Amino acid sequence: MTDKIILVDHVSKTFPKVLAVDNLSFEVEAQTCFGFLGPNGAGKSTMMKMIYGQCTRDENFTSKLSIFGYDPQYQELQIKYLSGVVPQDNNLDDELDVIQNLLVYSKFYNMPGHLARQRIAYLLDFLELTEKTNTRIQELSGGMKRRLVIARALLNNPRLLILDEPTTGLDPQVRHLIWDKLRLLKKEGTTILLTTHYMEEAFQICDTIMILHNGQKIIEGSPRDLLQNHIEKYVLELPDAGILRHPAYQQMQTQVRLEQTEHGLRLFSGNYDCLKNLAGKMEGENYYLRQTNLEDLFLKATGRDLNETQ
Amino acid sequence: MKHSEQELFPPLSRRLFGVWQRHVRVYTKNIFSNGLPAFFEPLLFLAGIGLGLGTYITQSMEGLSYLEFLGTGLLVTTAMFTASFECSYGTFIRLEFDKVYDGMLAAPLTVRDVIAGEILWAGTKGLFFSFIVLCILMIFGVIRSPQSFLAPFVGFLTGAMFAVISLFITSFVRAINQLNFFFTGFISPMFFFSGVVFPTSNLPSYFQPVVEILPLTHSVRLVRAVCTNHYQFTHLWDFLYIVFFILIVGFFAQKRLRQRMIS
Repeated sequence: MTDKIILVDHVSKTFPKVLAVDNLSFEVEAQTCFGFLGPNGAGKSTMMKMIYGQCTRDENFTSKLSIFGYDPQYQELQIKYLSGVVPQDNNLDDELDVIQNLLVYSKFYNMPGHLARQRIAYLLDFLELTEKTNTRIQELSGGMKRRLVIARALLNNPRLLILDEPTTGLDPQVRHLIWDKLRLLKKEGTTILLTTHYMEEAFQICDTIMILHNGQKIIEGSPRDLLQNHIEKYVLELPDAGILRHPAYQQMQTQVRLEQTEHGLRLFSGNYDCLKNLAGKMEGENYYLRQTNLEDLFLKATGRDLNETQ
Repeated sequence: MKHSEQELFPPLSRRLFGVWQRHVRVYTKNIFSNGLPAFFEPLLFLAGIGLGLGTYITQSMEGLSYLEFLGTGLLVTTAMFTASFECSYGTFIRLEFDKVYDGMLAAPLTVRDVIAGEILWAGTKGLFFSFIVLCILMIFGVIRSPQSFLAPFVGFLTGAMFAVISLFITSFVRAINQLNFFFTGFISPMFFFSGVVFPTSNLPSYFQPVVEILPLTHSVRLVRAVCTNHYQFTHLWDFLYIVFFILIVGFFAQKRLRQRMIS
């Protein structure tokens, strides 16, 4: 039997004006990476915060939340001691330099001084920040700050690493570096829970993805599984709706799914030849025929319209 | 994997010490720009009012020369000011702008640990600054009694007391400028009507109950008792007032700030 690190059962969270998390249930197995995907305001961060006690869940007889067997409502310290958290904002102490920021946190975990220094030296090396050991926070780039926050979360060798949008706003190099490190950590036995807007990020490092929308679970599964079972394999993107009047389209209408916006349309189908055939009729026009990806699935699941929190 | 009882999380004392140490580290990083104004303020006041205006005051106040009277009072007002700033503007910035508490609460710390650590730190600043002012006063011979070395402990209590009031007030504040009301409406009047610059007995009798309620009054009485080594039974009341004030207001401050820190 595999170890379940996180058990969430019928958990909801109501804020004065909005139901942020609506009756969610899921499980996270040890040594896997679980990702929340969803637009802003979908309830991703709120769900994460409930796990480490930064947010309380609605009182409810049927709801249950268990992390390492502890309930965050009553045993937050046990959970926090075993977890590392990378919050959405880089809340570093700007007055201090890199190593001092880490030393301050090592005290929160009651690490003896010499062990803390060893661990810090290792982590700075792990996240390629050794040269910045004595640099002030203001002088760090966005990517360095993010890596430092990750190093801080790893101080106590957490068994569970919680990351809220770890790579938002970072350049591709840093993003790939962070992904590599997360994969390595998972291999070493860390369980990872993350939220992201980046479909590629979810695809690259998550074993299981859950798409959230308005606080509700839309779909859950492995990235490959989701692509196979929840969306057509190919998509043809076109700049205008001209094709809809073409006899070839009307013939194949039953085989394609249409998504139309003001600025173009997308034809989805599992049948590559069918789309290729249609594309062939678009002589001289711009078109783009490709495999579908998680982003297509994401938009299919959560809709193209913006909600008021985005 | 089983954990032994001790390994589950750090004990309370270590958690509080951790928070306290965080504040010490951040504060001492810029010790001069942080500490110098707080250090000069009482000295300026002592020089301007005590040495300047004070030469015209020949009457003794509660049996002390005016310089001695004012100097002993300034031992605790410096603690009051430094703790009040720390736990109002400082706390608000940590809460809303720098999101320092969000980070700390992700570590094995509870809201209570964070708030208690904050109060201990403000008390420490009170102790430190009243000690500095005491040293100056002793060097210039304003205070001579060796027992006055206990005065910094009154500074600690004063710091903790004003930490809890400031935290409580800050828990209501939505925009940082609102704190200006707290200082002009509460802290500054306290400075003038708590027996620091003139004896409270000079105030009209209908005002006496107000004087008795003002927290600083009790600090001032206690510190004068310590510096003159002259204790009365009523000083026990002053001491108890301060202790209970810290416990009760501290409890409510913690309760209200929890709602701001945990959604």
